[in-house]
Amino acid sequence: MSGSYLEQVVQPDTRDTDIPPRLLGPQLERIWGTPRGLWGFLTTVDHKRIGQRYIVTAFIFLAMGGVLALLMRLQLSGPERRFIDPDRYNQIFTMHGTNMMFLFAVPVMEAVAVYIVPLMVGTRNIAFPRLNAFSYWMFLIGGLVLWVGFALDMGPDVGWFAYVPLSGPQYGAGKRSDIWAQMITFTEIAALAVAVELVVTILKQRAPGMTLDRIPLFVWAMLVTAFAVICAMPAIMIASTSLILDRLVGTHFFNPSEGGDVLLWQHLFWFFGHPEVYIIFLPAVGMISSIIPTFARRPIVGYLPLVLALIATGILAFGLWVHHMFVTGLPRLGESFFTASSMAIAVPNGIQIFCWLATLVLGRPVLKTPMLFILAFFFTFVIGGLSGVMVASVPFDTQVHDTYFVVAHFHYVLIGGAVFPLMGAVYYWFPKITGRMMSERIGRWVVGLVVVGFNLTFFPMHILGLQGMPRRIYTYQPELGWGPLNLFVSLSGCILAAGFVLFFFDVVRSMRSGAPASDNPWQAATLEWATSSPPPSYNFSRIPVVTSANPLWDATILPATRGLRVERRELLVTTVVDAEPQARESSPSDSIWPFWAAVTTSVLLVSSIFTPWAVVWGAIPVTFALIGWFWPKSTPEDLA
Amino acid sequence: MIERCVLFAVLSLTACKREMRDLRSDPPEAAALDQVRPMENRIGGAAPRIMYALGQPYEGNAYQLNQGKRLYDWFGCKGCHAQGGGVIGPALMDGWWRYGSDPVSIYLSLRDGRPNGMPAFGQRMTTDQMWQLTGYIRSLGSYRPSTAAPSRNDEMQARPAENRGPAAAALIARPSR
Repeated sequence: MSGSYLEQVVQPDTRDTDIPPRLLGPQLERIWGTPRGLWGFLTTVDHKRIGQRYIVTAFIFLAMGGVLALLMRLQLSGPERRFIDPDRYNQIFTMHGTNMMFLFAVPVMEAVAVYIVPLMVGTRNIAFPRLNAFSYWMFLIGGLVLWVGFALDMGPDVGWFAYVPLSGPQYGAGKRSDIWAQMITFTEIAALAVAVELVVTILKQRAPGMTLDRIPLFVWAMLVTAFAVICAMPAIMIASTSLILDRLVGTHFFNPSEGGDVLLWQHLFWFFGHPEVYIIFLPAVGMISSIIPTFARRPIVGYLPLVLALIATGILAFGLWVHHMFVTGLPRLGESFFTASSMAIAVPNGIQIFCWLATLVLGRPVLKTPMLFILAFFFTFVIGGLSGVMVASVPFDTQVHDTYFVVAHFHYVLIGGAVFPLMGAVYYWFPKITGRMMSERIGRWVVGLVVVGFNLTFFPMHILGLQGMPRRIYTYQPELGWGPLNLFVSLSGCILAAGFVLFFFDVVRSMRSGAPASDNPWQAATLEWATSSPPPSYNFSRIPVVTSANPLWDATILPATRGLRVERRELLVTTVVDAEPQARESSPSDSIWPFWAAVTTSVLLVSSIFTPWAVVWGAIPVTFALIGWFWPKSTPEDLA
Repeated sequence: MIERCVLFAVLSLTACKREMRDLRSDPPEAAALDQVRPMENRIGGAAPRIMYALGQPYEGNAYQLNQGKRLYDWFGCKGCHAQGGGVIGPALMDGWWRYGSDPVSIYLSLRDGRPNGMPAFGQRMTTDQMWQLTGYIRSLGSYRPSTAAPSRNDEMQARPAENRGPAAAALIARPSR
């Protein structure tokens, strides 16, 4: 009934004021909705569907990487175990690191942002939605390339950082390092695409009135992260491409005898690799800053210092990569500089911690599961931060370099600093994404198991490292005396694994039969809670207008804009600083071409592992896919 | 569809073999690998049976070829044979072989030595090392396309990287005697 009526009423240039309010939702759903079935699945450009997919895929990679970790712990549980042979072990620890860093940690943070940021800034879709679809397919195929390679005994075996000359042509026989390097290309294309979308979405698509000082902190964190991605990822793409060229066509980027440089690899890698740590950590900072005010029942303390700390961290992150290379024999002055900068970054991080603590002290904290994860974060991350300050000092680092002390340190920072807030964020935003609550009772068990399991697993590794146990070894001799502590670590790893199994169980259970969630179950303040749970395809039937930093707490009735067209996908473009309305902008419709572009690009990249000619012949289908994608549609230009 | 699946399965099996790394062979295997049955003139002969049971790993496996290349450096082959072009000793990449180009002949040359200067390495290398070196020497000329090849070393380059073969096509020199 309403469908046929809408077909009669909706003419070109129909505004949302022209049709009855009760028909606004159905009409917007007709325009923004994704068709059912496989075709809809392949063509959709809805940021929520793609974000959801991204999150699920990244968590599947997390589970697979976790299984690899358990295999390693099984092998190391006692001296001279024969469970895994050395070659397989090399592949497994490389896969674990590569998978966790490139296929889980970075993508999952961007994935959450792809879902949440457009809702938080009050717009209808992410900027460049087709690029977003392309990004997901590239990420997925890149992950498959790595894991299929591993299944075919072609998994990389040179560590997640793939130092030359070990990964170079002389020592890295076969195609294993090439698969690693090409997987880098896939994931970095995906990450760069999302970063560009986020920057544009955040700077140009904010709801009217959301001036720079009213942007939610998660959005600020993702803006800084996106800029860090844009500055850091090209370094690793240059490095991995040079490596492939060295291996495939015999160039000499990393061959000292012919004028190349081995250390160049480490510089390029860590110029990306250290900001990468903050690319993972800053989104977590944003998640924490979203969760704490909600559960402390008051606005965040120190909004401005927090934003400045975010920006300072993002900039300082590019000034300390050399602390990964202290044992390569650098000039003393260089070592001192990077020691100082490594310690300096503790300052903005300290500011953040104190702002959060102040918010908790001044508020009335409610200890729900997301909040418990944040408390776990405080405890764990501070330990990781302190061991970080320790290894920032050159003499200490020289002692513990390449030992289990470093393994303990970065797991404390990454799991404590990023995975705990992420799990808290899953419990926090799950009702918004699925419309169902996760179990509070199971959630408390998950927190308990994961936090206790984590600390029992990784704290003893500090001691093992100080006792001299090196990283990346597949076994050790009984006389060294590391056996009992390693057995303890392996058994504690089972507790940690049980926590994750319970977490995944709770996710699946809640998705099917969790208690239905209201629109704003936590009484939070930001815009994503202003729409229904789960949000409709068009996010907001009218774009909200923001008058304060905590719109849902300060306004009893959220004001909204009027006058957007409803017979095409249209959203509002606003100015960068003051978020004044600037233009009505059309938003791209569903398209199959991003999928084909990703498939053809993948064919090119995978074939180029085997022959340089793939770059020539593979470019032809890519060209056709891009022509299809950008074919002029003869639609009129957007109106201001 | 079924053909495609079979093709994929076969391809994946070759991939496995191509990349497999047997870091240390079992002692009985290594002993059996020495059981070559040469012709009376010690040129040519039958390879050990186990070679076929193992799937001829020293011919088409990148890791084994790469190990062979490293042994070529370590055991001073370059002293006489240079990068394969030959100086004091004969060239190894011009398609001309005094004692045969088949694996068994080359293995025998390595193990027992040959008259006029080729020393015996049988007491200095393990059996699988000699087979690795054999595989690498056979790949030097790159006469046939191979999916497995070592790549260049991190040193001054005297010839194009092995994986840019066939190097034989670039050779103008006639077989030297």
